[in-house]
Amino acid sequence: MHYTFLYLDPGSGSYVLQVIIAAILGGLMFFKNFWLKVKSFFIKPKVKQEDAEEPEQPAS
Amino acid sequence: MQLIPGTEKYPASYRDRDGFIFKYNNQFYRCINKTYFSQYQHLMDSGLYDLLVKKKWLIAHEEVKDKPEWNSEEYRVIYPQQIAYVSYPYEWSFEMWKDAALLTLDIALTAMEKGMLLKDATPFNIQFVQGKPVFIDTLSFELYDAAKPWIAYRQFCECFIAPLLLQKYADASMNHFFQLYPNGIPLQLVQELLPAKAKWNVHNYMHVYLQGKIKTSKRNASTAQQPFSKPKMLLLLNGLHGYVKKMQVKPAKTIWDDYYTDTILSKQYLDEKAKLVQSLLKKIPFQTVIDLGANDGYFSLLLKDKASAIVSADSDVNCINQLYLKIKNEKISNILPVVSALHTPSPSIGWHHTERMNFTERFKGDVVLALALVHHLAIANNVPLEMIAQWFAALGNYLLVEFVPKTDDKVKQLLQYRQDIFDDYHSTGFEKAFGNYFDILTKATVPGTERILYLAKKR
Repeated sequence: MHYTFLYLDPGSGSYVLQVIIAAILGGLMFFKNFWLKVKSFFIKPKVKQEDAEEPEQPAS
Repeated sequence: MQLIPGTEKYPASYRDRDGFIFKYNNQFYRCINKTYFSQYQHLMDSGLYDLLVKKKWLIAHEEVKDKPEWNSEEYRVIYPQQIAYVSYPYEWSFEMWKDAALLTLDIALTAMEKGMLLKDATPFNIQFVQGKPVFIDTLSFELYDAAKPWIAYRQFCECFIAPLLLQKYADASMNHFFQLYPNGIPLQLVQELLPAKAKWNVHNYMHVYLQGKIKTSKRNASTAQQPFSKPKMLLLLNGLHGYVKKMQVKPAKTIWDDYYTDTILSKQYLDEKAKLVQSLLKKIPFQTVIDLGANDGYFSLLLKDKASAIVSADSDVNCINQLYLKIKNEKISNILPVVSALHTPSPSIGWHHTERMNFTERFKGDVVLALALVHHLAIANNVPLEMIAQWFAALGNYLLVEFVPKTDDKVKQLLQYRQDIFDDYHSTGFEKAFGNYFDILTKATVPGTERILYLAKKR
């Protein structure tokens, strides 16, 4: 087995990787949000109901 | 820098040029070097320190003011909250690892809001205090530069993601593997150890497999000049957080799953033994307990209101995982679960063998509890009774030990397929061997069995 990371400095070595990962995650996030929007378009009432229940107000 | 006279630098504290830990009058202090003054000031002035301490995520400290010689233009000293029992990552179970990883990311995300970031990401920066993970390295924070990526990213992958994945995909006992690679498990090795299916998870692929591909690419130089940004950093840290949070370990059967339901080891036996243990322990004064062979923590939990601190050690990682989840859910603050094979307890490791202390150095208590343990050490692992007594004597002043005789089903099982070479394994031999190190105060038979409990005091 070759441990080729041995001479890779931790900062710059993972630099490129982090740029790529951020891009992938950004893409995933975009599609996730897109999907959620599509989903909420079809099942709107349920989502709204949950939201409406959240703020708890003391009964007066 | 020059060490303050009369102090002793802690051997694990050599990596950081910004400061180090030292011992003075048996207490731990942290020295901050001039190179870190401005960042330390930002940590304190930005409100980040107060916020993290309030959440109990970061260890609290006081600035030492009553020793003028400890504060100069070159350095200053802080006195952190002291930790009774130190555990190391290779002694944590999966859920402990996971909580430690999540804490590291939570702290990094919170620090970003206050203009700082973590400059390293090692589980050695975390200790379990009052049942919860706490970040102990006050000097790990650096000023955040949005144009730069996370300097500790690869360390996080090697020190948290790698061990978590090995525990998840290979075996829960792979937590011990970190003992061989305390500075991080090489990701290429992890790739070879993980099953092929692991590659098909996009997060596994990004954080473990992709690293090998990137280093061979020739685009590095040009891409490295693109500035990073805060949104990218948030994507990375939040992405890691969601990824770790969803990780689950295979639900495993513990070795002891059927232990208490088997034959004589019934509820009745357990109740009788619990009563006996409680009445025997009333005879002695104690604050701290080292529960060896703690199993799922039954007896540790029984004593939680009577002791200030309990260390529950067992070799079964799944038992310890269950115990950790229990103390986490029930907010029990004085039990520290520890995974360690007691026939070969955690050694001294690291630079000059002094960086990480061994089991015996760290876990000393007022009373050592060794219930249904001696037969495993003596018969399953061939440790002579006298040597067992010697080790117990190194751990505590009092001992509550159970002797399980050869007539017991459990010992019969251990001897079933092997030659009985244990001529002195009987109560008289036991008393003789333990008599070399302890004075036996009381002995009592567990009703309905031939098992004997001994309460003893170290000579």
